[in-house]
Amino acid sequence: MKPFLLLALFAVAAKAEEPAPSSRPPAPRAFGALQASNLLNPNISVIGWFQGEAGRRHSDPGVNLPPALDMKEAELGFQSIVDPYARADFFISVGREGVELEEGYIDWFHLPHDLALKVGKFRADFGKFNRTHPPETAFADRPLVHERFLGNEGLSGAGADLSWQVPNPWVLVTVDGEIINTPTAEESPFFDRARRRDLLYVAHASGYYDLSDAVNMTLGGSYAYGAAGQDYNAVALSSRTLSAQLGGLDLTLRWRNPRRSIYRSGFWQTEVLWGKRGAAGGSSVGTAGMFSHVEYQFARRWRAGARYDYTQMPADRSQHEEAGLAYLTFQPSEFTSISLQGRQARRFDGAKETLGFLKITFNIGPHGSHPF
Amino acid sequence: MSKTKALLAAALCVLPSLSSAKIQIVTTTEDLAALAREVGGGQVEAQTIAKGYEDPHFVQAKPSYLLKLKRADLFIQVGLELEVAWAGALLTSARNTNIIPGNPGFLDASESCEVLEKPQSVDRSLGDVHPLGNPHYWLDPANGRIIASRIAQRLEEIDSSHAAEYRSNLAAFEKRLNEKSREWALLAQPLKGLGVVTYHNSWPNFARRFGLRVVNFIEPRPGIPPSPAHVQSLEKQMAREKIALILVEPYFDDKLPRKIAEDTGAHLVILPPSVGAVPDIKTYFGLFDHDLKLILGALGKSAAKS
Repeated sequence: MKPFLLLALFAVAAKAEEPAPSSRPPAPRAFGALQASNLLNPNISVIGWFQGEAGRRHSDPGVNLPPALDMKEAELGFQSIVDPYARADFFISVGREGVELEEGYIDWFHLPHDLALKVGKFRADFGKFNRTHPPETAFADRPLVHERFLGNEGLSGAGADLSWQVPNPWVLVTVDGEIINTPTAEESPFFDRARRRDLLYVAHASGYYDLSDAVNMTLGGSYAYGAAGQDYNAVALSSRTLSAQLGGLDLTLRWRNPRRSIYRSGFWQTEVLWGKRGAAGGSSVGTAGMFSHVEYQFARRWRAGARYDYTQMPADRSQHEEAGLAYLTFQPSEFTSISLQGRQARRFDGAKETLGFLKITFNIGPHGSHPF
Repeated sequence: MSKTKALLAAALCVLPSLSSAKIQIVTTTEDLAALAREVGGGQVEAQTIAKGYEDPHFVQAKPSYLLKLKRADLFIQVGLELEVAWAGALLTSARNTNIIPGNPGFLDASESCEVLEKPQSVDRSLGDVHPLGNPHYWLDPANGRIIASRIAQRLEEIDSSHAAEYRSNLAAFEKRLNEKSREWALLAQPLKGLGVVTYHNSWPNFARRFGLRVVNFIEPRPGIPPSPAHVQSLEKQMAREKIALILVEPYFDDKLPRKIAEDTGAHLVILPPSVGAVPDIKTYFGLFDHDLKLILGALGKSAAKS
């Protein structure tokens, strides 16, 4: 999208969304990110992620194996309302590999015509799982299909996201269009930024529906288009940028009896990804993968879950990987989680891999919103 | 074909505006919706997010609530961080400027109410505490009066053409509340000084209004499930202090409270803290009628006996 379009949109929004005059002074409290303990300062929170790992890990060439015991990440969050029109969120990841801005964006959340605009660096709205920060997922690892297609940290980048809630009184339908930098092959194996100006175009549409008071469903479709490296022609001394297209479908079913909401819940999520990636000589490779995750909360502090993974290798559909993961998680309180996990995988070269994980997460800071 | 599509799109866009001309109120709890109906009368349509039988601390921020919030003229929350886990996320996603804080369409019902247990200092070793004070303040009819008055004021601001009707509804509500308060005070006479144990710390305002004395909780800290050691110590305390009543909110598992009641000989009462928690409680008045009768019934006492 052209920059002037964004500016024009914001200018219109700022005019249209001026706070309505009120005969009484503005309420002293803000909402969401602001709480009494820090008034006008942003909410500051830290999520710690400790992980232990046992077993013989199959490593890809050039990839360092994680240590057996690892303070994998400390995720610092700074969140606040910026002004009457926008909020801002920053998430900084501190780990063995240094300090990285995982996300940092401003979100104009009340634009006219049910629009919202986010600008900054953020996790792409591709599927459902990709939006979740790694410490907050139920897993000690990532589903193989996400690892192989979107990378170890998921698909993210700097850019803009325009989101539209389709007006209708029955079903919440949200459509997002994003333009972000195409990730490098190191960041996301399916895409490969060849030139500085290579951008990734992402679209996501999702519909949410309450099947009953206790059961609800989210169905989404995603599409991403971007560069996949360059094809060099040594004879003609020329090169062209290859393209890659990735599609996805995500289905999430949730069950929670509102009369017993803290004791029992169920969750089932499945994502399917398929892609077509340009290759040298004008050919292309079509590949696919999926994961399915089911979780049952059987007591106030206990959850058990399992996940099945299948993925073809993005550059070679003749090779594939499969894995199964099971876990048992204990949550002493809302703010800590201790999870024992086991994963068995068959890697693309036929090697079998059995790993055990201990994932402990803990967070400090004001009470944030529960993820949905 | 393109004409059909354009018509369909236009119809979708105007549908929300074709809904009722009444003032659309969305509240976080059914208690606030019940009070809004008392003062709004026929001019408002009040919907709630958390049902009366739900634990208001743990409501899922379901996207379907956004459909309600998008059309709301007035949003009313309990505040004091009762809804901190879900209301803020819904408000920022609703794309409705009317109901953001600072605008007339946002009302925090806790303002001006008497709030108990405001901590001097707070950390998570105390459990999932509310740093601004105990948010269950609507369980005192005196606070119900304040909330109703604030809603009426706000409705007058938003919909000045019906200001007289809102004032009249408020006066009628206050008159009835005065009558009911006298009736409840009589009913609660036998409860004066009665020691009780409650599951969660939901009842300080109710207890103070009706003379109950909360001596301990089944949860050792807010949001922390009880340990065997805590239960043992609680049972000892109940035996020592001859505590005859255990009050449990309907959304908590009653298995452990039943065992404690059996062990100590206390009466267990599943006591709704909100309108709509059981089908019988349809109004704010009905909440106190129901709860007081339930407690007195469990103790085998009645206003007549007293």
